[in-house]
Amino acid sequence: MTNDIITPSSWWGSFEFNSEQSRLWHIGPLTFMVRCLNGEWQVAYDRLSEIDEGNASWDIEDTDQLPESLGNNSRYVFRQTAGLLTIMPLLADRSVITRPLTPFNLTAGEEVTLYVSTPLWLEVAVGSPKKALQEIAIQRPSDTWFGPSTREGELCYASATHCRLSLDELPQRPHRAITPVLIRNQAETTLSIERLNVPAPLLTLYACADGQLWTPKITLIREKDGDMAELKIDHIAPQEARQAEKLSPPRMTVASGALIQAFNAVFR
Amino acid sequence: MTEYWTELVNFLSGDKIWSMTRAFLLVVIGVALAKLVSSTIARLVGKMADSHRAMLLKRGSYYLILILFLISALHELGFNLSVLLGAAGIFTVAIGFASQTSASNLISGLFLVAERPFGVGDVIRVGTTTGEVLSIDLLSVKLRTFDNLFVRIPNESLIKSEVTTLTRFPIRRIDVQVGVAYKEDLKKVRELLDQVADKNPLCLEEPKPIYIFLGFGDSSLNIQYSVWAKRENFLDLKNSIHEEIKNIFDENGIEIPFPHRTIYTGSVTEPFPVRFEEATDNDSSFYDQYK
Repeated sequence: MTNDIITPSSWWGSFEFNSEQSRLWHIGPLTFMVRCLNGEWQVAYDRLSEIDEGNASWDIEDTDQLPESLGNNSRYVFRQTAGLLTIMPLLADRSVITRPLTPFNLTAGEEVTLYVSTPLWLEVAVGSPKKALQEIAIQRPSDTWFGPSTREGELCYASATHCRLSLDELPQRPHRAITPVLIRNQAETTLSIERLNVPAPLLTLYACADGQLWTPKITLIREKDGDMAELKIDHIAPQEARQAEKLSPPRMTVASGALIQAFNAVFR
Repeated sequence: MTEYWTELVNFLSGDKIWSMTRAFLLVVIGVALAKLVSSTIARLVGKMADSHRAMLLKRGSYYLILILFLISALHELGFNLSVLLGAAGIFTVAIGFASQTSASNLISGLFLVAERPFGVGDVIRVGTTTGEVLSIDLLSVKLRTFDNLFVRIPNESLIKSEVTTLTRFPIRRIDVQVGVAYKEDLKKVRELLDQVADKNPLCLEEPKPIYIFLGFGDSSLNIQYSVWAKRENFLDLKNSIHEEIKNIFDENGIEIPFPHRTIYTGSVTEPFPVRFEEATDNDSSFYDQYK
């Protein structure tokens, strides 16, 4: 009988289940439950409607509650259940738009590092090799549009928190990942930063020993002519989290290391 | 009897039967080849282009190959094509007068294909009909409405009338018309509306919701609150945002009034007589709701 949690230092990892066993996760605003039956897995979840940014805790508990007590209930039927469940954090499947508390200007030749907190999803998978059952957003971010007009642009998620100039000002949450963004203005005019597009699907996710999740550093360079922006993504964990281990690969891969994008596609 | 037999033998051994056979074979091969080539093109193009272009190319290649083979078959039969085309010219004038509508639809169809205001799979609204485009043919456009009816719209009427393509752009705006009582604080109303939009994840953060004061209505202050949604979430947001606005107004005691009517008998006539009567047992439950 293994009721103990295998990796209690984090809410993700692999968990052994006995038949008829149910576990309940509380991660930030999300409550989600997995029940293992003979030949069946049941997954259910609910989210707090009020976004409580102060709720930074997480816990996992065994429960007698039935999945029907939560909304969003789904059942997965198998020939036989191995009893192994894997929960993995994932970054957003669309870019995340964030804005500073108040817009600021970056004069010619200057550079700045911003810290952005992006929302996470969790992937529920069972068995070995893993069979993914579903992805659940820990906090459903609001949709937003990023583009020069209502005809052209990209559908993104709006980050509920602002990007900060100092890491200490950014609230650290177990259910959000932090991305350092270095912005360098090589053009001769001042760059006004109102909104910033973080390409979350292109980023790898790293975990620190303290449970904080990080992504590699992004470097955005505004080119000399001012119309184009170069986007570089590091292949290692950021300096702030050097000991971090890799958790999940990017959802999308790009062929080359650097991306040249229209200036409008990155800054507004 | 022998004469018929000799004639038949002569006919069969003559050149005519062979040219007819060749013509027939050309038509058969033409149909088979046209089908093969057009479906191969559709398969190859289908991976790269949208279904509308794939369908156009498929049909175009099919008819082109078929016409070429038919012309060869006619040539094989000994028809002089230039004479045939000349005759066809005169014939076309006659046919043209007789089939004005079809010709007009046909030409409108060509314009529709060239202008390409919508493609197969788009959702369009023509007059009162809204539906998904199933096919764009030479004479008509076929739609499937959302109550699962098949509607055929002649190309001519599409060219003449206003057609709205609902699925052209990725995001759409929902205009919520709401009225609040004259006593309400409009600043607070605006804050509450912003709160609703902010909390609903389907409501786009940018473009920002638009607040428009429409005017002083008969019994309410009329407001239009416009929010943006991803095209696919249009209906979900339309349903949820109305419900959420009603809920937040109820929670904050903001009244959504309905038209009031005061009956005034005029200054010349007597006022309406009002008489009080004691309630009976049957009436008491009716009056209870007003207590």
